[in-house]
Amino acid sequence: MLEVSIFGILAFFIIGGSIAMIINTQTLFSAFGFLVAMIGLAGVFALLDSRFLAIAQLMVSVGGIVVLSMLTILTLNLKSENLPLEPYKYRWILLSSFLVFPIGILIYTSIMRVSQSFTVLTTVTSKEAGKLLFSEWVLPFEMVSILLLSAMVGAMVIAKKDNLQDEEETL
Amino acid sequence: MTSNLFFLLATFLFSIGLVGMVSRRNLFVVYMSAELMLSAVNLLLATFSKILGNGGGSVMALLMIAVIASEASLFLAMIIHLSKIKRTVDSDKFTKLKEEKKNA
Repeated sequence: MLEVSIFGILAFFIIGGSIAMIINTQTLFSAFGFLVAMIGLAGVFALLDSRFLAIAQLMVSVGGIVVLSMLTILTLNLKSENLPLEPYKYRWILLSSFLVFPIGILIYTSIMRVSQSFTVLTTVTSKEAGKLLFSEWVLPFEMVSILLLSAMVGAMVIAKKDNLQDEEETL
Repeated sequence: MTSNLFFLLATFLFSIGLVGMVSRRNLFVVYMSAELMLSAVNLLLATFSKILGNGGGSVMALLMIAVIASEASLFLAMIIHLSKIKRTVDSDKFTKLKEEKKNA
């Protein structure tokens, strides 16, 4: 029962944060909602007893991604006239919620179908996960290192200053 | 503690991310919605790892976190580049491909 109540609190924070992320006009408040959702998700990982994943989520998603996006938002320093004008925002959100609702039901029922065939419910320790990571999953692990390197180089190439001048002339 | 609750939460997160991606025009919100959808899949992988008693799901979720991080860096660099060009983050304003097609 304690687990369910903890899960309820975490789910409240996650869903509330993500809804706040969607409906806020100010970008920084959306980022705060995203921060709350990510911290709650790390709590859910901890509740699933996958500790290493919870710590990784807390370090990478909260400490890295959310802080990086907040820094980007603050660096760009967009005034309200530079933000998109969305007069029918709530109507669009409502309409797309109606459209997405059957897709959500489809996803949920298909997941439930898959999961009915096995319910073992054992804890995966971080030792086990680490052993798997360096034995069975060593090729994806190395590919992720190449992916991170190429993402770093790509981000620098995209955001560097030199190619801005010729872009501005063409536009 | 049933796993149905976790599935329900993952479905909710994915649906909210999809709604945000479809209905908003602010590039930052679109980016964060994509992150939210990826995180929902991550949660699903972790839950299945626990149900199956197999560490493969956890390892896959760890690799997914790296993919999410690289996606974030590229997307943010892209947003900086785009907003330097037009001083806006409205996704409807970036119609370069569309206009060129019209001219041709």
